[in-house]
Amino acid sequence: MRRVVSVSLGSSKRDHKVYAEFLGEEFEISRMGTDGNFDRALELLQNLDGKVDAIGLGGIDVYLFVKQKRYAVKDGLKLMEAVKVTPVVDGSGLKNTLEREVVRVLADETGHLKKGTKVLMVSSVDRFGMAEALSEMGCDVTFGDLIFTAGVPYPIKTMEELEEIAGRILPEISQMPFHMIYPTGKKQETQDEDKVKKFARYYHDAEVIGGDFHLIRRFMPAEMNRQIILTNTTTPDDIEFLRKKGVALLVTTTPEYDGRSFGTNVMEAVLVSIIGKPWEDITSDDYLNLLEKLKFRPRILDLKT
Amino acid sequence: MATHEEITDSLKVFTDNYNKNERLKIMNRDWDRVVVVKATDVESRHTMTLKDGVVSLKEGASDNPDLTVISDSETLADIFYGDITPTEPYNNGTLRVMGSEDDLIRLDFISLLIWGE
Repeated sequence: MRRVVSVSLGSSKRDHKVYAEFLGEEFEISRMGTDGNFDRALELLQNLDGKVDAIGLGGIDVYLFVKQKRYAVKDGLKLMEAVKVTPVVDGSGLKNTLEREVVRVLADETGHLKKGTKVLMVSSVDRFGMAEALSEMGCDVTFGDLIFTAGVPYPIKTMEELEEIAGRILPEISQMPFHMIYPTGKKQETQDEDKVKKFARYYHDAEVIGGDFHLIRRFMPAEMNRQIILTNTTTPDDIEFLRKKGVALLVTTTPEYDGRSFGTNVMEAVLVSIIGKPWEDITSDDYLNLLEKLKFRPRILDLKT
Repeated sequence: MATHEEITDSLKVFTDNYNKNERLKIMNRDWDRVVVVKATDVESRHTMTLKDGVVSLKEGASDNPDLTVISDSETLADIFYGDITPTEPYNNGTLRVMGSEDDLIRLDFISLLIWGE
């Protein structure tokens, strides 16, 4: 049996272990949250190195992408470099392939996305594949990076402006302590009430809200009017949270195992262990071919019932 | 070591560049804040006031600022002239900012939108 472990800076309340079969092979997939404790995450990674088949890094990004530019997140890189033997991934490779594909499926096969659909991406630089695919298919996309990361009520409306602003900000912001720009640990269990009130209009005005679930959750107001949420890494409690808020449909980009969808880092770690090549040699086509073989489909969950 | 006058000049450059940037003024219309800039090695205090998206500068400290930016004179002048970004001095402890983390991040973003690559 292959073992894949996700070490996350997120809450340990979301820890989980499942057994699954991929292409005839048994996998034990588990998640270990460190409640935002960076040193604990480093220690866990060092302990797991060489003892498991692949490691995913959760609750943190190692790389942020905008078009062809890649920005390394200092804290993420530090965690990644702590692992010397076992393949270690942050999900960015899969986000750039699977999440583009999910946008295509939602447009071509379900009709949930079409030209002009109003989409709020709570953050796009951590899910650039999804953001670009939505933009390319003609959705009316609001990139909420400045709103939800910096508290600046400035919706970015074009890919060009996103690229320009990201070019100014990301080289430096990626060097800051990660907890300053993303909710880690206990912050993942609470909402930022001031910003929920202040930025509610961006949620209410959208038909589809996409991006990282912890960000979506942290700022989601009450009285949502039947929006679609496009994300991943949801637990049964998260689904109940969305239902109570008035969300109509949940689409997770990764499949469901035992009642929850794992993060892209976990699924990428599974794929990397199957492909068997060094991470840096794996191409988008490698992922796409394997996703095809595995028949990965987005999970679409009706929350109205 | 920079002088008080050099810090004043750097802050003037910063505020001028900010106020010339219409996008920044739109971004910060909701963010009324008082920011005190304090040098540790020379007698130098300034107050930047953001109101309705516009920044004004005066010499001397204000009571009850929302943010207080503290560093040595050279680092302050370098930051506000745009020669260095605040990230490295903040990460290595040369630059201290007293105030809420949300305000600190926002100030960092403003500085990067003025001086970023």
